[in-house]
Amino acid sequence: MARTDTHIHNRIRTLRFHHGEMTQQELADEVGVTRQTVNAVEGGKYAPSLEVAFRIAAVFDVPLEEVFQYEPES
Amino acid sequence: MSISQRSISQSKPPRSNSPHRTGFVMNASFEEKSVWIQLISLLVGLGLYSVVAGSMLYSGINVLVAFVGPFVAAVLLIVAVNVGGHMAVAIASRPDGRDERDRLISWRAESNSSWILAVGILTAITCMIVSVGEVWVAHLLLLSLFIAEITKDIVKLVYYRRGI
Repeated sequence: MARTDTHIHNRIRTLRFHHGEMTQQELADEVGVTRQTVNAVEGGKYAPSLEVAFRIAAVFDVPLEEVFQYEPES
Repeated sequence: MSISQRSISQSKPPRSNSPHRTGFVMNASFEEKSVWIQLISLLVGLGLYSVVAGSMLYSGINVLVAFVGPFVAAVLLIVAVNVGGHMAVAIASRPDGRDERDRLISWRAESNSSWILAVGILTAITCMIVSVGEVWVAHLLLLSLFIAEITKDIVKLVYYRRGI
């Protein structure tokens, strides 16, 4: 089984930092997922569903594309 | 301390807290710990049953009823390890429920391992057609179920650790 890092990059760590050093647990509680899922998304190990992606963006009050960026394989 | 009370003392955000920099047990979700417990209980219960059943088959016991006792004992052992393990984990850490990632990992692991049971069933049917003894057919089915469950748990753990 190959390593499955996604091609979706994110700025969640930076956005958490700029939101008063919000913890992964606090973000997870607001989004409605586990802390481990936030950790996996942040580390590029899991591409969340569209709904969870929108919920994350809503927590930071920014558009979706400010949180997630897609970089296709060249 | 609330979020607004914290001061931002650094201009750049620190690196993400990855699983490699924190304790493995502390970092694992309740669902992942549950998979570990299931895997250990299966290895212990059916492993011990395999040793007992193997020695019985080796000594020439070919009556299916003789294997019922060890099998029931193995199932009870699996249940006991599962219940005890889950209780210990629930006491040690807050159960955080399943989310979409847990469900996706579960579906993919099921999809990647279900063929093993299918192959076992088809092989067992073939064995019945060619009149292989019922003890062997039953254990072939049990073995395929055992390997399918172990594979499912291992695939889940790989997805949890390496990403999906």
